[in-house]
Amino acid sequence: MLVWLFSFFLLIALLGLLIFQLMSLADLEFDYINPYDSALRINSVVLPEFITQGVLCLLFLLSGHWFMFLLCAPNLYYNFRLYTRRQHLVDVTEIFNMLDWEKKQRFVKLIYTVILLFFSIFWMVWTALEDD
Amino acid sequence: MQPMGNENAGPTKFPGRPVSPFVAAPQTTMPFFSSGHVVEKTGPPNFPGRPASPFLSAPQNAMPLLSSVPVGPSIPSSQPSPDVGNYQRFPTPVYPSNVQSITPAHGPPYAGQAVLPPPGLPSPGQQPLPPPFNFRPQPPQPQIPLVSMGPPPQSFNSMPRGSMPTFPLESSNLHPSMLGYPNSQASPVTHVPPGQASPFLSHQGGFVQPPIRAPLGLNSREQLTLTSMGPPISVQNLVEEFSSLSVGSVPGSIDPGIDSKALPRPLDGDVESKSSTVMYPLNCHPKFLSLTSHAIPNSQSLLSRWHLPLGAVVHPLAEASDEEEVPIVNFGPTGIIRCRRCQTYVNPYVTFTDGGRKWRCNLCALLNDVPSDYFSLLDASGRRCDADQRPELMKGSVEFVASTENMVRPPMPPLYFFLIDVSLSAVRSGMLEIVAKTIKSCLDELLGFPRTQIGFLTFDSTLHFYNMKSSFTQPQMMVVADLDDIFIPLPDDLLVNLSESRTVVDAFLDSLPSMFVDNVNIESAFGPALKAAFMVMSKLGGKLLIFQSTLPSLGIGRLKLRGDDLRIYGTDKEHALRIAEDPFYKQMAADLTQYQIGVNLYAFSDRYSDIASLGTLAKYTGGQVYYFPSFLGGIHKEKLSYELARDLTRETAWEAVMRVRCGKGVRFTTYHGHLMLRSTDLLALPAVDCDKAFAMQLSLEETLLTTQTVYFQVALLYTSSSGERRIRVHTAAAPVVADLGEMYRQANTGALVCLLSRLAIEKTLSHKLEDARHAIQLRIVKGLREYRNLYAVQHRLGGRMIFPESLKFLPLYGLSLLKSIPLRGGYADAQLDERCAAGFNVMILPIKRLLKLIYPTLIRIDEYLVMAPTVADDFGNFSKRLPLSSESLNSRGLYMYDDGYRFIIWFGGMLSSDITTSLLGVDLSAIPDLSKVSLCERDNHISRKLFGILKRFRESDPSCYQMCHLVRQGEQPREGLLLLSNLIEDQIGGTVGYVDWIQQIHRQVQQSA
Repeated sequence: MLVWLFSFFLLIALLGLLIFQLMSLADLEFDYINPYDSALRINSVVLPEFITQGVLCLLFLLSGHWFMFLLCAPNLYYNFRLYTRRQHLVDVTEIFNMLDWEKKQRFVKLIYTVILLFFSIFWMVWTALEDD
Repeated sequence: MQPMGNENAGPTKFPGRPVSPFVAAPQTTMPFFSSGHVVEKTGPPNFPGRPASPFLSAPQNAMPLLSSVPVGPSIPSSQPSPDVGNYQRFPTPVYPSNVQSITPAHGPPYAGQAVLPPPGLPSPGQQPLPPPFNFRPQPPQPQIPLVSMGPPPQSFNSMPRGSMPTFPLESSNLHPSMLGYPNSQASPVTHVPPGQASPFLSHQGGFVQPPIRAPLGLNSREQLTLTSMGPPISVQNLVEEFSSLSVGSVPGSIDPGIDSKALPRPLDGDVESKSSTVMYPLNCHPKFLSLTSHAIPNSQSLLSRWHLPLGAVVHPLAEASDEEEVPIVNFGPTGIIRCRRCQTYVNPYVTFTDGGRKWRCNLCALLNDVPSDYFSLLDASGRRCDADQRPELMKGSVEFVASTENMVRPPMPPLYFFLIDVSLSAVRSGMLEIVAKTIKSCLDELLGFPRTQIGFLTFDSTLHFYNMKSSFTQPQMMVVADLDDIFIPLPDDLLVNLSESRTVVDAFLDSLPSMFVDNVNIESAFGPALKAAFMVMSKLGGKLLIFQSTLPSLGIGRLKLRGDDLRIYGTDKEHALRIAEDPFYKQMAADLTQYQIGVNLYAFSDRYSDIASLGTLAKYTGGQVYYFPSFLGGIHKEKLSYELARDLTRETAWEAVMRVRCGKGVRFTTYHGHLMLRSTDLLALPAVDCDKAFAMQLSLEETLLTTQTVYFQVALLYTSSSGERRIRVHTAAAPVVADLGEMYRQANTGALVCLLSRLAIEKTLSHKLEDARHAIQLRIVKGLREYRNLYAVQHRLGGRMIFPESLKFLPLYGLSLLKSIPLRGGYADAQLDERCAAGFNVMILPIKRLLKLIYPTLIRIDEYLVMAPTVADDFGNFSKRLPLSSESLNSRGLYMYDDGYRFIIWFGGMLSSDITTSLLGVDLSAIPDLSKVSLCERDNHISRKLFGILKRFRESDPSCYQMCHLVRQGEQPREGLLLLSNLIEDQIGGTVGYVDWIQQIHRQVQQSA
């Protein structure tokens, strides 16, 4: 039960970070902020996002929720790959050329996280009912 | 296709082709060749017989076209493609000689696409001229060699033309080619027969020739049309139709694998589309803004059928000639007239209404009020009465003096900061001394006197700052050795006003070389030095000139050797070699741009110095990369000082931003060049000058455009050296069309090639070279296929390749691009640094210089040189550009190759010793190594004439100094490196030649047509 509660908060945090990044990108696109600020804002939350995601995976793994762990794993692998290739930070010089890709990537992550959130709420309710 | 393989080998195998022994063999023929071109053709030593054959055929070719007639008709359109392999063989080398000699004689008809019957067949007229000359004199003698040699050539397959079929082909072709026009058409016939006939030939060797020998030229032509075009009548019609469609979109066509001489080449200059200026006389000059197609598609679906890039090349500060100086307009207190909504500047296309009280913006159609100061009555036609006095309403290019609302801070003074490497290699190569001298000599001409600011910082393993306070007599040097925590030892006086501190600056530059003459430090703390320079400059911005002669080895931003790993090529990691290794450089570049600092990089290393990383600094700051591989003061002095002086004194736009606005429904989406985007459509250019051009791609925002015309407006807001804030505005209009054919008609090859090249180079930064090359080819093929589809239905095109007149050079330029230094080959074909530097270079080149770089000029100059000096300036008659193939080189000639960056002077092996002695002072044979020889003017008319030519060429392209390289025929490997690898129409080490390329394209175009 506690695991689900934890995962719920982690997922909410993840959603928040992603939405923040997407908003920064949208602001950039509509010329509300300059690329330097935008890149700074996004890059400052990229690592927190990755870490949160990693913790979430670890949580599922340690608590033995294999199914949820497997659901999270692709995202973890993707983040890990970006990080090792040093592509995880947005590049202020190329930010406009990469804008579409960066948005798409984060949007997909967002949807993915929302799905995870539903699952986790479902399991939370399920366990709560079972416990009763 | 064994022959093909051989063929490939051919050229490389006999690089020295025109080797003397052979040339000597057919001496008999030589005399006649005086016309020149032919000669070196004969040159191919391996095949002494060959040269003769064309001539032989002359007498005999009355012979029926036995083999070809029967065969011909049976060649359906499909035939050509399968046979392509075969064809290739002949075409290349075979005629070149003949045609060549003719071509120049009447350039224009040829230049056009071969297919169309030229206005009136010039045949009768032409034939007399060249043939008598070539043929008569050399009767039987050559013949003998030919016959006897007939068989051997076979074994010499390596010679492209060596194989049997050649003979018939040659002979039959000869005539057509003489006729001038028809030859291209004749070719299908001639080709096929060889293919078919070859069995005979191979058995019977030389004897077969006569029977096969071709038809008279005229006949062959008719045959040809028949065979290739089906019913004669339709052919006739087709031809008529095409020629009557003279508007410019006449589909040209060439038969596959045919006459290599008839292939389109920009020898008489490029196609310049005049139509845009004719249609819209108020447009700015195309050199400022040219669209890849001066017709904008009206719908997404139409755009998706236009497979070539759609976009524009903008060259905002292109040097204007005197009569077309961009007028300066000052609105004074009225303020600049701009659209309220879209901020468009007033331009010739705005319309005034309501008695002159309102004006309608041509981009967004908003009605704006005319300020009372700017009011003028309208005449009967609705035109302002004072329009003639207002350049902004008459000219497509104007410059407005900006008001304070366009400033975020007071206009900055021109500022130059020099970051100079003083490590061992910099001193030893002589770089330091030349740089110091050049800067000193330019001090008087630096822009913006008396506001100019200047500063210096030198570095090896430590940083040296110079206090140049005006009250000093000698500069005071401060050494900072702490590289981890960089600080500026002085708050000011590192940057000083040049006119106030002139004596200190002079004293500094005088002593700079001697200060470090004994420096044995080989380290380079480039990163920390760059940071320090950035900190010094960040208050004002300006131009940062970096002189770097080693690989940065200390502190932040140090780089390691890479790029010598052969195995990485061809893998997914290959592209990483061409981008900055350390994110420090990108970050620095971004910061520099933000503070209005433009970087020009001068790199001198003789070893790997990671231009890919260092160049990044220039890439995002609107700068430029100057690369001097294996720099030696003695040799490169003039080049360095010329280019540095130009960099320091050319008109520069400081702290500039550029925006390209366009009418509703279209939008520029991607920008390519040395720039950084500050918002989606705002280009930040800290220091931009007349040598930089920018390319951009266009996309449609709406599925259907309803307007008739789309307007583009380039606005460059900058601070001039005089300290005035100005806006340079170029306005152009282009029609919206619903017809793909019209888009092709209005296509601009130069802009297309420019955009294509930049896209390809950007692709090499994230993909393999191979992928980038493939992408170019694919685009060209798709573009031509779509065009073919437009016409394939109405006309039976058979096996012909068609393309719009406007794009006739596209395949050639595409090929040149594939063989250009940034894109060619793999590991061994270009040094990594050289490749990256060339890539950076291409990214800023304006159209004209790009085309010259990828398809350079090759001219023969010995004939001009030996001519007695005359008063009249007749160089024009001699400066015929030659096709870039080794067949253009004659061992008796002296050739000059000019790609805008260097001159290569090629001495033929048999060049008369008079010329070499006059030019070099001694005979060529007395000089073991030409690379060490530099040309100097001698006191004789030949030498003076040569220098006259060099001077003339240099003046035609002042943006860089063309160094003169001398190379002798057969001098390996220099000849190969300098010249042969740049003869892009040849097959060099595994790449395709022009003819093969055309066939390849043609085949691919047909595949899914």
